[in-house]
Amino acid sequence: MDERLKLVFIGAVAGVGGGTAAVFLNKALEIGREILLPYRGSWYSFIFPAIGAFLSTVFLIYIVKDVGGHGVPEVIYSVTKRGGLIRLRSSFSRIISCALTISSGGSAGPESPVVISGASVASNIACHFRLKDRQRIILVGGGAAAAIAAIFNAPVAGMAFSLEAIIGEWTSTNLIVIAVSAAVGAEVCRIFQGNQIPFKGGTFTISNADLLACIGLSFFTCLSAILLMKLLRFIRSLSNRIVSSPCIRAALGGLIVGVIGIFIPEVLGEGYHFVREIIHGKSKYGLLLAGLITLGKTLATCLTIGTGGIGGLFAPCLVIGSFLGLFYQKLLLFIAPSFSWAGESYFALLGMAGVLSSVLQAPMTGIFLITEITGGYQVLISVVLVSVISVCLSRIFEPFSVYHQELIARGEFLRPRTDRYILSELNILELIDQNCQKIRSDMRLREFVEIVKKTKSDFFAVIDPKDGHYIGLVHLDDIRSYLFDPNLYDTILVEELIDPNIPTVSLDHELLEVMEIFDYSHNSVLPVVHDGKFFGLISKSKILDHYRKELMVEEEI
Amino acid sequence: MRNELLHVFRNTPLGRETLFQSIYFCKKTDTSLRVYIPVSKQFLMYFENEVVTVDLDDSYLRDPETAKIHAEEIIRMEGLIPRFIEPKSYTASTLPDLPVDFKYMTCPRSISDLSTKISLGYIGPKVRGIIKNSTFPVLIPASVFKPWKNITVFFGGSNNAGKAVRFGIEISRKSGFPLLLFTQSEGKPKSYYEELLDQKGLLKPLKKLSFEWLFFEKGDFRKNLYEVPHDSLVIVGAYGHGPIRDILFGSKMELIQSELPNNMLIVGPYCAVHQF
Repeated sequence: MDERLKLVFIGAVAGVGGGTAAVFLNKALEIGREILLPYRGSWYSFIFPAIGAFLSTVFLIYIVKDVGGHGVPEVIYSVTKRGGLIRLRSSFSRIISCALTISSGGSAGPESPVVISGASVASNIACHFRLKDRQRIILVGGGAAAAIAAIFNAPVAGMAFSLEAIIGEWTSTNLIVIAVSAAVGAEVCRIFQGNQIPFKGGTFTISNADLLACIGLSFFTCLSAILLMKLLRFIRSLSNRIVSSPCIRAALGGLIVGVIGIFIPEVLGEGYHFVREIIHGKSKYGLLLAGLITLGKTLATCLTIGTGGIGGLFAPCLVIGSFLGLFYQKLLLFIAPSFSWAGESYFALLGMAGVLSSVLQAPMTGIFLITEITGGYQVLISVVLVSVISVCLSRIFEPFSVYHQELIARGEFLRPRTDRYILSELNILELIDQNCQKIRSDMRLREFVEIVKKTKSDFFAVIDPKDGHYIGLVHLDDIRSYLFDPNLYDTILVEELIDPNIPTVSLDHELLEVMEIFDYSHNSVLPVVHDGKFFGLISKSKILDHYRKELMVEEEI
Repeated sequence: MRNELLHVFRNTPLGRETLFQSIYFCKKTDTSLRVYIPVSKQFLMYFENEVVTVDLDDSYLRDPETAKIHAEEIIRMEGLIPRFIEPKSYTASTLPDLPVDFKYMTCPRSISDLSTKISLGYIGPKVRGIIKNSTFPVLIPASVFKPWKNITVFFGGSNNAGKAVRFGIEISRKSGFPLLLFTQSEGKPKSYYEELLDQKGLLKPLKKLSFEWLFFEKGDFRKNLYEVPHDSLVIVGAYGHGPIRDILFGSKMELIQSELPNNMLIVGPYCAVHQF
């Protein structure tokens, strides 16, 4: 069977997996909400987010023994460094944890957990079919796309998210498989939940002044995204320092969110209900209240996710963006009350696109998501304007997306087709040239000259005759003058000819580190020494040769 | 592949016995020892087609302040230089990835479950996961340190059994210990197995070692296992036939591991072997 066709077929299977994960999460959220609904109005309901966060962390860490966090960095790590391998337990662990967090009132979204679920299902399907690393990576992207496509009923947004945030490159092969997965994922969701447009908007009358006003909104969405990312980092680091137990930490975060929820109930849960109200023009919020909710939701989200609650940032970004858009529209009306501005739903949509694009550093995702979930392309130009300006501005202060920051902090982030990425795919063991001649350190020059006559090698590894350990390297070019002076043949020992400026590399070194050593030492060849033993030589030319081969492999499926 | 054995150190008396066994194995096979002292309850091993999460039993993290000191003490006492592994990559901040390009790895019968479960007939799911996916054979040591003085390889004709024989020959060459081949005939003559060994290019190297062949045409396999010397390193292939055949006909490896308390080297289906 043709490899591409096979991959498309398996991509469709992965799409079913991603779509099913999203359906499961939606159902779990529905059940959770129904269970807690009768108790929502009670005086003690403020404690629900704390209980939910506690239980979700206990489930994740102690029952399924998974690690905390929303999981998207784990998917990106697997794609960039581990050939798309993801643990099977990740396919369900965060779905249940996320359902506990959100249905109890935690301020988070279901999207990121469902991304890792979809990606994990796809990865394990790829393993079952014994696909190559490159194929598995594409399939993981497909699983993630299917999950987003299914949860928002937005296949193009799912595809854009996968290519922008997960895979990091738009190639035709990626595009075909991921598009198929996303379409299948959305279709699975439509079968079980119907073909609904989540935030279907009305018609808009957009004037040139509105388009100009978009630029102003971009500044607000940019600031909001920066605030969200910085506050999230701050709360994460502060809470990690103050409370060591992950369950207590998450519960404390949930408790504070619950208390905020007493005064601002809009901050609780995923908050799509309020977004719908704004989009349908039924909101009852004034300028100050809209601003307050924007800040409250930002704080609640950072507290929920930053303290270890399980959930994603998509939904909070959309809620924050919609309230920010509303705030901005009210501000425009306050400044120029006589002017006929577009409705609040128009600015809410733009706010959603701007905040989401900036936090994810993925403008296409924001653009397609908003156009798909509102069911129309009428606002496309405005959405593009706000997303692009907002992303460009936010990059000045926060150059990496919220998903990449964690990986960058650990030094694990690799972009496809970069030096770091390709070098990370190569193994030092496969590059070692073992034909280098070894010579004893106590050998006299006369004996060494005889060896030189019989070999074509330019480098000779000097070994300690007592324990066989490596002492240094002799380069023929450096000792040419000695070779032609027979008077020195019996007076010089080989160990005196060692070049002291040649550093060694070990099997533990990564290729990138080896390249750095090449650069600062200005050598073309380095000895590989591990545990004192000489393994062979590694040369720049051989690395380049393998680098080119790896580049060619990257082009194949 | 590095000529190293990976040992995950457990800072308990049981862990000490296991480390002694790893050290002995390294000395006899001229392999370097690399010790990992766990700092978190889990680590990941990314094999070619599978990622195995190793959830460690709590005892692996007992008394972390003395773990390195104890390991160093034991290794130095046995005349080796202690070398430790510090994970370079992390899937998540508390989830280190260990390299997988070793030549051998030591695993007790169970790495995730309580050590009280460790007994004949039990191999934990994580250890099985490593065996099924690794490119190196897994050394399952006896509960108490016991030096082995000879090598017994189980050969039933499969590809995996052939790999086991290959490792047996290599270890016999390096250690100088005699090699015994154990075959329970399944109604076929000895010549059939000889031919199989010859096809796999193993007969000549075996003959050079002057091996002894424990060939059983009759009798119960379990009963015949008594003939395996008590001080033998048992090498056996595993998971070579696929799950369906194992369910229908039973797995020889399971029978062997439930009967023999010896040190065992289990060769999984993806083990890399070198050609003679």
